[in-house]
Amino acid sequence: MSILQEIVVISGKGGTGKTSISSALAYLAKEDAIVADCDVDAANMHLLLDADFDKKEDFYSGETAFIDEDSCVNCGKCKKVCRFDAINVIQNQHRVDALSCEGCWYCSRVCPTGAIEMKEQKAGDLYISHIKTGTKMVHAKLGFGAENSGKLVAKVKTTARELAKKESKKYMLVDGSPGIGCPVISSLSGAHLVVLVTEATVSGLHDLKRVLKLCESFSLKSVCIINKCDLNSQMSKNLENFLKEKNIPVIAKLPYDETFTKALSEAKTIIEYKNRSNISQILIKSWNEIKNHI
Amino acid sequence: MKILFTAKGKSWEDLVDPRFGRAEMFVVYDEDKDALTVISNDEAKQKAHGVGLQSAKKALEAGVDAIITGNGAGEKALEILEKSNIKVYVGAGEVTLENAYKAFKEGRLQLQF
Repeated sequence: MSILQEIVVISGKGGTGKTSISSALAYLAKEDAIVADCDVDAANMHLLLDADFDKKEDFYSGETAFIDEDSCVNCGKCKKVCRFDAINVIQNQHRVDALSCEGCWYCSRVCPTGAIEMKEQKAGDLYISHIKTGTKMVHAKLGFGAENSGKLVAKVKTTARELAKKESKKYMLVDGSPGIGCPVISSLSGAHLVVLVTEATVSGLHDLKRVLKLCESFSLKSVCIINKCDLNSQMSKNLENFLKEKNIPVIAKLPYDETFTKALSEAKTIIEYKNRSNISQILIKSWNEIKNHI
Repeated sequence: MKILFTAKGKSWEDLVDPRFGRAEMFVVYDEDKDALTVISNDEAKQKAHGVGLQSAKKALEAGVDAIITGNGAGEKALEILEKSNIKVYVGAGEVTLENAYKAFKEGRLQLQF
């Protein structure tokens, strides 16, 4: 049996159409792929793929200080050292504001009576859902004030990988996180192919450069889709020249098209919405190209 | 020479873990003593951020000369490793420690950057 192929879609910049495109690819991959939504800060792929939130699991990340009021002598040392103003005195009792607490342990270290315990904090829920393409997806929902992390992305990916192996899938399709930070590094690790989605704008090129540098430092094989290529023909040319210089194949150039928004408002992937549209045809070709590049 | 592998298991037959920060564990091979030792990376599972730096710290503490891994270290960790003269070899993800070591000895593994 062949090894599971991991395809990660990232963009560097937000708003390039990454999730619309990865959902379309997921729709085209059908039962061959397990889908993982690692863009947990703004998880929305489940809307397009009609996820049923079948299985749920708690997800813990980071710690929060907790003051045991019986052993607390209200000396105020914790309040003095807290850099996040997370400790308030309410009705003569020092209390932790869990939303402000960054879990740095400082208060817990200085407490003379050992009244401050660091407790693991629930950051959100992890889900395994059935989706409309006849396969499954792994995704997560964060609690209030919680943020995505390399840890959460790693958890989503490991769960998806185990599932894909168990069900002998060919592909694992990952909607990566935006930016170039910790969650993106975590999205990328183990990838067999990176699909970079960019757009013909100044910031599109700028962020593509940053994210490509990251891919290069991990020696990852990448291909690029230029979305909204007709927004600015000069920028589009600049993008292509840059990619040529870097030896990154451009597998598709998509024109700006409001069909994307229309499909989105009906919670459909662009392929289902209008199978015969120009955009859909380009994306169908792209999926074949991606399979060839792996 | 001491070499650290990011690994999925403890023996030569186990696979190299392509991840650096969140590697399952680390296995150090001391060529002079011909001995394998295992360093746990369980704390990384609890940490939300900054695990790459922790791995770099462990490599420093173990006093290794080279690291063999899959994708490579992130920017911050790599900076520290470079300054400490620890070489990072990449491209060994999904092969056994034994084969990765062989590839390293035959000069078939690439340096990161």
